[in-house]
Amino acid sequence: MSVSLAVTGLVKRFGGLLATDDLSFRIDPGESVGLIGPNGAGKTTVFSQIMGEHRQTSGTIGLDGEEISGLSTSARIRRGVCRTYQVPRPFPDLTVAENVRVGQMPDSIWEMITRSGDRQREVELALSVGFAKGDLDRKPSELSMGNLRKLEMARTLATEPRLMLLDEVFAGLTAAEISVIAELVQSLRADGMTFLIVSHDLKALEPLIDRAIAIDRGAKVAEGPYLDVIKNPRVRASYLGTS
Amino acid sequence: MRLRWHHLALWAALVLGMLLLPYLVGNGTLRTMIFANYLAIFAISWDVLSGRTGYVSFGHPFLIGIGAYTTAILTKRFDVPVEISIPLAVVATMVGGLIVLLPALRIKGSYFALVTLAFMELMYQLVQVIRPDLTGGTRGMSGLPTLTRGAVNGFYLSTALMLAIAISMWLLMRTRLGIALAAIGMNEESVRGSGLSVTRLKTFAFITSAFIAGLGGAFYIHYLGSIAPRALFDINFLFTIIVAALIGGAGTVVGPLIGAFFLTFLLEFLRPYLPGAERYFVYGGMALLIYMYQPKGIIALFEAGLGRLGRSR
Amino acid sequence: MLQILIQGFLLSGLYALIAMGFTLIFSVGRVLDLAYGAYLLIGGYTYFHFSQTLGFPAAAGLALAAVVGCAMGLAKFRLIVKPLGGGHVAVEISTLILAVVLQAGVVLVFGDSSKILLPIVPGVERLEGATVPYSNLLAAVASWIILLGLYCFVRFTHTGRAMQAVSMDARGAVISGIDSDRINAITWMISGALGALGGVFFASYTQLYPGMWVAPLIISVAVVIVGGIGSIIGTLVVAHIVGFMEITVSALIAPELRGVVTMLLIIGVLVLRPRGLFGREEI
Repeated sequence: MSVSLAVTGLVKRFGGLLATDDLSFRIDPGESVGLIGPNGAGKTTVFSQIMGEHRQTSGTIGLDGEEISGLSTSARIRRGVCRTYQVPRPFPDLTVAENVRVGQMPDSIWEMITRSGDRQREVELALSVGFAKGDLDRKPSELSMGNLRKLEMARTLATEPRLMLLDEVFAGLTAAEISVIAELVQSLRADGMTFLIVSHDLKALEPLIDRAIAIDRGAKVAEGPYLDVIKNPRVRASYLGTS
Repeated sequence: MRLRWHHLALWAALVLGMLLLPYLVGNGTLRTMIFANYLAIFAISWDVLSGRTGYVSFGHPFLIGIGAYTTAILTKRFDVPVEISIPLAVVATMVGGLIVLLPALRIKGSYFALVTLAFMELMYQLVQVIRPDLTGGTRGMSGLPTLTRGAVNGFYLSTALMLAIAISMWLLMRTRLGIALAAIGMNEESVRGSGLSVTRLKTFAFITSAFIAGLGGAFYIHYLGSIAPRALFDINFLFTIIVAALIGGAGTVVGPLIGAFFLTFLLEFLRPYLPGAERYFVYGGMALLIYMYQPKGIIALFEAGLGRLGRSR
Repeated sequence: MLQILIQGFLLSGLYALIAMGFTLIFSVGRVLDLAYGAYLLIGGYTYFHFSQTLGFPAAAGLALAAVVGCAMGLAKFRLIVKPLGGGHVAVEISTLILAVVLQAGVVLVFGDSSKILLPIVPGVERLEGATVPYSNLLAAVASWIILLGLYCFVRFTHTGRAMQAVSMDARGAVISGIDSDRINAITWMISGALGALGGVFFASYTQLYPGMWVAPLIISVAVVIVGGIGSIIGTLVVAHIVGFMEITVSALIAPELRGVVTMLLIIGVLVLRPRGLFGREEI
């Protein structure tokens, strides 16, 4: 059920700005990797290129050995990649259950009309990320930041991903909420999910990942076991802004 | 899709009520009802696109006009029978819908509304100058074949058409497709991020909206028996369609229906006091107040009222 | 040829004045005011009522039109735009409704038939076969003076600079202590005055009738879409493109097609270059 991701020679230019600079890395099936770096290092841009929201200037993105650069975002999601956003983006007028339902829909208008979804699975997904039964009919405006992140996890999990890209999953959460999300990631890892996680909260990130990749100004600075990476002088320098 | 018995009962009551109406009211009221029916069709068509996906169309008269003009020209100038010209008109409108769709794939928000407005004005001006021998130019055409004779038959035909469209749209929008289209209106990026092809969904909404607009436009013109550019490609007409959908309740099927009947009868009620175009003053003023006070429309007011009743019991 | 050149310049000057009020709202308030055309309508009728029916001097009629436009702008901002909290779709729809209401209001007061506005200044000038009514000349000259005044106002006064700041970055402007509410209210008032004055001149070009607000609205929309936002110079340039295109088409091809080119310009630019010819921000 797991998947491998191989990014090679990825370059992204926005006008004169080099947002991604010849970046290459690999994630093996079932692995969990942290992507770290200072503000503006280009972590989110890497995510949006993997998802096809921005087309890379050059370089390749392979999923299970197959090039996906030519595919649309929705086609990539059907191949089993998905991402969450730094700022959760729920559908404000839909209930929690309906939000999850959108993620669960098949990408075929005919099937959307003729087949009703699997309500059982919808409820299961919502409960699995930690919602209570009573939350299912609530609207996003009534939810806390932690619950909004859970909702986004549930909606993306509904697309049945094998590789999840998590962008700043801990931002704006209380300590209790952080541990709920962390537990969720751990249980998904145990089931074989592959992860690429961006977080500023390194303390919360550390237990969730097998290794780390540090980038600065779009280029890879260090890669390896978490402790080695954060002790790397170039990584430290990039965080301090002295490089 | 889950159907509840009280929904079915309400629809059945509506169908039955409409069937019995000719026995209860005079021909004048029936003629007003015919206009309300067609307005409801146009408002539902607008809502499928704009009320759901949030792509506000200011060019719906453009679509309705394509349907109306196609069948008018075919029947009047080429003696094509109505049974063939109406389906052709619907197809032509769907092609027109696709043309409007093209910019919508690239532009969003206010710019989409503006480009559709430009399409409507363009059509208004072109119809008058290009091949006036076909379109009838500024004066339009009259003496088009009519489908029915008398108010009662016209009422039954328009009611059947309106109810068929309303019920099928209501059923369609209760499926997951309805949720997906509404989700586009809330956050297009997240729909894409849920693995759905937004382009395909938008195309579907456009084509469906155009289909209804073309069907309604063609039947409408064969009820009126005449066609004129200023009556069709007109901001007042556009305004009536949008306002019907909005004050009834956008994003629903029943809302535009209620809105259309409310507006048509309000206009009729005002006729003795303000015989001319001044009626739009009161009419528009009320629409503006309702829209400012309750953007979700009359249907939301009903629901709030019912909710309060339920709680007090 | 000379005829086209002269008429082109005269009409374009007027279009620049008309489009300017619309662009101002779009760049400072970031909303489309679809009731903008109604300023022209009300301005034209106000002038008609005071100068032609009551016999006030022309200058007084113009001043009163501007005052009424100003008041309308303020009322629109306070009663509609502000309560709606800046939702684009809501503002567009409610201003569209408002425009229809105001049109019906004009019908209620002045009747359905069109009115001929007497020339503001009577007489014509003949120039090598080209006839130029003094009224049209006045419209163009007045437009240029008003636009120059507006340019100086935006460039050199404190309020004008604050307007620029709000249009560039509304949140940043608020942080640096600008009362964005006040600036918005002032912008709506200026926009109303510009529209109402434009309406008097526009009506003297064509005629005064309740549906006269649609054409100038479309022209303003074209100018904003093609020219991008926030630039007085850009608005001037595009107003001349639109003005000359209309005059050329109606002189050389067919007068009925003059509106068609404007529409094709809007559609073409939006489809081919969604960001406009001179670049534009997302709204």
